[in-house]
Amino acid sequence: MTAALLALADSRLPAGGHAHSGGVEQAITAGVLTDPGSLAAFLRRRLTTAGAVAAGLAAAACRSADDAAALAVLDAEADARTPSPAQRAASRQQGRGLVRVASRAWPDPAWASLPAQPHHPLALGVAAATAGLTPRDAAHAAAYLAVSGPATAAQRLLAMDPITVAAVTARLSPEIDRVADDAAAGDLPADTDPLLDLLTEVHAARNDRFFAS
Amino acid sequence: MRTLVEVVARCDARGRTVLPVVRASGQLAVRRTGPTTVHLVATAFGPLGGDDAEIRLVVEEGARLAVRSVAAAVVLPARGESPSSRQVVRAEVAGALDLAPEPTVVTARADHRAEVRVQLTEAAELTVTEQVLLGRRGEDPGRWTGTTRVERSGRPLLHTTVSLGPGAPAWLPPVAPRAYVSTVRIGEPRPEVRTGLDAVRLPLAGGWVGTAWAGELHDAVAALASVTEDAALAEVAR
Repeated sequence: MTAALLALADSRLPAGGHAHSGGVEQAITAGVLTDPGSLAAFLRRRLTTAGAVAAGLAAAACRSADDAAALAVLDAEADARTPSPAQRAASRQQGRGLVRVASRAWPDPAWASLPAQPHHPLALGVAAATAGLTPRDAAHAAAYLAVSGPATAAQRLLAMDPITVAAVTARLSPEIDRVADDAAAGDLPADTDPLLDLLTEVHAARNDRFFAS
Repeated sequence: MRTLVEVVARCDARGRTVLPVVRASGQLAVRRTGPTTVHLVATAFGPLGGDDAEIRLVVEEGARLAVRSVAAAVVLPARGESPSSRQVVRAEVAGALDLAPEPTVVTARADHRAEVRVQLTEAAELTVTEQVLLGRRGEDPGRWTGTTRVERSGRPLLHTTVSLGPGAPAWLPPVAPRAYVSTVRIGEPRPEVRTGLDAVRLPLAGGWVGTAWAGELHDAVAALASVTEDAALAEVAR
């Protein structure tokens, strides 16, 4: 089943994640993200807040993949943990993009249980379930995607050395694993980073941006 | 040390708020200081590492309750390897609750966990303001973790955990503020997003949540007031 997990976490999966920077574009504008060191700090912030929440939701959605009522409850919990309208919109856009590709890849009645335009971690959890993966796998994919996409965005925006960026991301692996394992095993995390909320909202009001979020 | 505070606010036959239950044990006393206001009074230094406080508030339909405190809470570590201290506010609100204690100051080596869990009915009103300062003047910052969960008619409106201080994974330079303030307001029309310098107000269904941070508490309060248009906050910042 490992190949299915790799496919889900692959940045080449055409689910629309490439259009989102996860706050990186505004962090660069704000001067918070300038070099590999501050990129690592930013990714760690994102991983342990939005990434932990996404991992917990993805694991829970994977567990309840064919239960529409449980998924609706999780969607409301995702909203409560994402008060930023711009982050909600980004999550639902990416959720819809993932449903489009993953429901073709792994056709399953479970897809009908998801709300329309689900939060991305919910779509990821159902995708993992339909691909025969475990809730823990879903959490790992969610935690990894919480940093891999933003890292690529930083590389493109700052014209950083791709090898350096790949190394920064790879060195986060033990922390990604820990965040995913904790999120999959315990209560739904609710960790939030007010800085990320602010950056995303300032970004959403700009009309000169390269990324959707 | 275990601390328990219980306050019930009820609307009497003439439409006035009465407080049939005003009870406290442990390190807090509670005094009725106005028709609809109670003040929490610390009866000991602390909280100290290992202390556990629970504040249970019930505001029945038609009643109003404002909860304040007389002084900042200074969280101190226990001797040696200090365990965390914990304070939980559990509120059931069908009327209007306004919870705005004085700041929590978390001294070096202390680790404080604050939780606010509120269940609202459809027509209930809520204002919760938290102010946090890490470390006294010239002192290293302590650790603070705050969880807020607000439900209306059983549906979650907001559920967030903010972790501040050395060792908190999302408290990293260049953004590792010593002062943090937040207000949750439920019971008014959903407003637009507003952003400021290190401050943001986000709309919720039937209200908003505002957060701000800075090096100094008064700057954080002023930043929050600038995005929330909250007259009471602006007064505090002045």
